[in-house]
Amino acid sequence: MSVFMDLNLCSSADRSGLRSLIETAAHLGFSTVAINYVLEPTAKKKPEIPTPTPISDLMDGLPIVQGRSRPIRVLNRLTVVMSDASHFRLNAAEYRHFDLLAVQPTTEKLFHAACLLYDVDIICISLTEKLPFFFKRAPVNGAVDRGVVFEVSYSAAIRDSTLRRYTFTNAFSLMDTCKGKNVILSSAAEKALELRGPYDVTNLGLLFGLSNGDAKEAISSTCRSVLLHAETRKTASGVIYTMKSSSESSCQERAPPECEAPAAKRAKPT
Amino acid sequence: MVRWKSRYLLCEVNVVDRSRLLLLDDRAVAGAVKAAVARIHGDYGAALCSIRFCVKYLNAHTGIVLLRFPKSCYRILWSALPFITSVESRGQKIPCFLNCLHVGGTIRTCQKFLVRYNTQQLHRMLPKCKNEEEKQQICKAILNCTLTGKDKEESEDESENEEDEEE
Repeated sequence: MSVFMDLNLCSSADRSGLRSLIETAAHLGFSTVAINYVLEPTAKKKPEIPTPTPISDLMDGLPIVQGRSRPIRVLNRLTVVMSDASHFRLNAAEYRHFDLLAVQPTTEKLFHAACLLYDVDIICISLTEKLPFFFKRAPVNGAVDRGVVFEVSYSAAIRDSTLRRYTFTNAFSLMDTCKGKNVILSSAAEKALELRGPYDVTNLGLLFGLSNGDAKEAISSTCRSVLLHAETRKTASGVIYTMKSSSESSCQERAPPECEAPAAKRAKPT
Repeated sequence: MVRWKSRYLLCEVNVVDRSRLLLLDDRAVAGAVKAAVARIHGDYGAALCSIRFCVKYLNAHTGIVLLRFPKSCYRILWSALPFITSVESRGQKIPCFLNCLHVGGTIRTCQKFLVRYNTQQLHRMLPKCKNEEEKQQICKAILNCTLTGKDKEESEDESENEEDEEE
């Protein structure tokens, strides 16, 4: 049994709803989940980057994962919906509050840029409408080489029949282009009843055009590589890690060995 | 002799309000599965779903369902199960989802898994007891369960229910 992850749970102001989402995810056997904050910049005013709610505020004790003895791990993730190149600012300080960074490009040019240039972990494709562009081999292959992954979320397909059709169409054309590699399946669930168990999701991958092994990778090992990729984003080429020193703390010496471990695991620097 | 090969899917019905689980019955679950398959895979799916498909076991207390599918096409039928959002039973619509726990070739392996799974659930629930006395009560209740001639699994199911009520 491998470690399952679901890297997209919609955040909401309703705390008890979010709590029951996390509890259900733990019950189903997901050992890592990420709470997704969406940033949708409009042309007029400057949008406010949401600050993540600390997990300790949300619930006092994290639930234990089904079949394991560890509590569930909860991360924060930011998704930037881009319709213009200026919406995504490289190295913005606000992005540092989040563990994972995702973009959702809406034009072909931005998709190309997101695949080849931007320092992000996940590229979301809005699966619920007719895409204005086709997936081309070159940018997708570039993204695969850089270790950026594409996300397919299934909860829209559960909600409605038209959305289901678009989801399957777009997922199929994506899988054709990237041949099932570097894809993660996530829920994007707003309510606890929109989550599905890991084995069901794996089998659902069959409908998205993934093979059996690829589908299993899509919710376990690919997600893990996303997390490692996100960790190296904070470092310089995955080798050096800097942090602000608080004046008389001596815990500085401990910092370097800690961050060497993920660097050693990484095959290729970004 | 060669027997008909089947696949048994052991599923858990997850609901928000656990007391509504008691409304479930075989026919409601079978109807929901058939409707979902017909919705996702159309006439072809509905045809596949009428070969030897049945609900073999349903425990309304713990919400465990055992579904039988023909082995040749169980994957395609299984892929429709995530699209079940509610089960209609006795005139009431119960919002729920099915979570597959185990896929087995025989009922026997599913039963073995279920016994292990229910023990695990009990261990997960025990720390939620409010005080030591409650814990003792549950342990006593488990030990008092004597269903001679029946299998172990049922006694464990019962103990879980008792605890649910106490919480």
